[in-house]
Amino acid sequence: MNLSAPLIIVDDQRFLQHDTGGGDHPEIPARLQTIHQSLKSSVCYPLLSFLSPQAATRNDLTQVHSENWLFRFEEAVLAGQTYIDHSDNQVCYDSYDIACLAAGAGISAIDLIEEGRGSNIFCLVRPPGHHAEHAIPFGFCFFNNCVVAARYWQRKYHKKRIVVFDFDAHHGNGIQSAFEEEADSYYISIHEHPSFSYPGTGYGDEHGMGDGKGTILNLPLSPGGNDRDVKNILENVIPQKLEEWQPEAIIIAAGFDAHIADDMSGLQYSTELYYTLGREVKSWAERFTNGKLLSILEGGYELSVLGDSVEAYVRGILAK
Amino acid sequence: MYILRHMTPDPITVSPAMLLPEARALLNEYHFRHLPVVDEQGKLVGILTDRDLRSAYPSSVISDSERRLVYERVQETSVSEIMSTDCVTLGTDSTLDDALFLFDRDQPGALPVVDDDGRVVGIFSIRDLNAAYKTLFGVGEKGAVLIGILDDGSPTIMTRIVMLLEKEKIPFTRVLRIFDKQVGDTIYLRINTFKIAAVLDLLEENDFAIKKG
Repeated sequence: MNLSAPLIIVDDQRFLQHDTGGGDHPEIPARLQTIHQSLKSSVCYPLLSFLSPQAATRNDLTQVHSENWLFRFEEAVLAGQTYIDHSDNQVCYDSYDIACLAAGAGISAIDLIEEGRGSNIFCLVRPPGHHAEHAIPFGFCFFNNCVVAARYWQRKYHKKRIVVFDFDAHHGNGIQSAFEEEADSYYISIHEHPSFSYPGTGYGDEHGMGDGKGTILNLPLSPGGNDRDVKNILENVIPQKLEEWQPEAIIIAAGFDAHIADDMSGLQYSTELYYTLGREVKSWAERFTNGKLLSILEGGYELSVLGDSVEAYVRGILAK
Repeated sequence: MYILRHMTPDPITVSPAMLLPEARALLNEYHFRHLPVVDEQGKLVGILTDRDLRSAYPSSVISDSERRLVYERVQETSVSEIMSTDCVTLGTDSTLDDALFLFDRDQPGALPVVDDDGRVVGIFSIRDLNAAYKTLFGVGEKGAVLIGILDDGSPTIMTRIVMLLEKEKIPFTRVLRIFDKQVGDTIYLRINTFKIAAVLDLLEENDFAIKKG
């Protein structure tokens, strides 16, 4: 592995083994395969190096999830259950181990960053994580990969003031519920309005509670929301908030299902908007965290555009 | 649907003789806006709101000397002198719908709930009403979303929708049929799945028209 590479991709063949049962389930291994193909044919490919992650330990996971949920998840897959709690949450025999690996990707990336062996890292994982709650799976998500990473950064490296920016089309209810009552973690999400979209959370007037008042920034867009809306938010809303908040670490929950061709949402982003998003988040990293940036894959289901959308994002975070 | 399940039971009440500073301290301490005023038997005689109190206390724009005078008078004033006595109440057999109509008509912030003898047994606020209807309609329920289907008036449309959803194992929690001339008659479904587009496709394949926006 070339550790001085401008972008390290954390990935693993084992992520393909999380089998969601075929049929019409959109969260499938081919998502990662199409992303790989697009990266391979990208002009950026020479700038990438690839690394396998370590699985998250039980201790890493219980910083975010209940012991009871860990047992319940593991038992369900070993017993041969095909889904947990809801038929959206399809699992196979290996799903628990692979979910641990997906949750560990951010941790492996943070170690590399903090040891000075990389600063810009993108974890291409599945299953995704941002809907997973403390003790409940939701919307294809079992462990909250971004929150597990945030907790690790805060605990091991004392980077207290974390921001997670989520541009997946869906609100990351699991990230919000993990952060909304604490002062040190900030969650910013652009998503389709909850009245029209899964999971029905993420209203604009939710700002956090108690010590966490002011640490949640939900920016819902109406169906049809497009590049112009996002660029307006990137220009006029988020930079000011980050300036006030002064993050010590930045995690991007990178979902690509708001693309106009992806029918998992009514948003209408272009492929090139992901380039803009990449450039923008990289500029935040340069401004606040000495260029250190961790991105973790969330959704994105339309195979005909997913690879190119991710490639555009990668080009954005590598742009000079 | 009964108010008893949604109200705050045994609310803090005050006596008509209580002086205003004490009542104000109570409202501030507990962040209430409404205090039922009761007699020795616990029967409702009035309601004191933070608004009543604000009007009684001296305005910030008057001169210091006037201010002092009003302030001294307020210190000696009892709750009974400024409370509202013509208050609207809910009974132990009132329903959420009764409350909705009263809130709509009189626009109070909260309504005392009294038993048949007029004793205060609870208080029901506009917040409680919102929470109750939020639960009833599943607003903000994680994992759920509302979709609309055009209602063609067919006598079997409800049956066909429900049978289709059950046959395809699509979890749903609410089906609402709303007749509305302005926006068109609509059947709203609260479905609990991430795969919304797949459900919309399924409904369209089965000749249901999806309502946009």
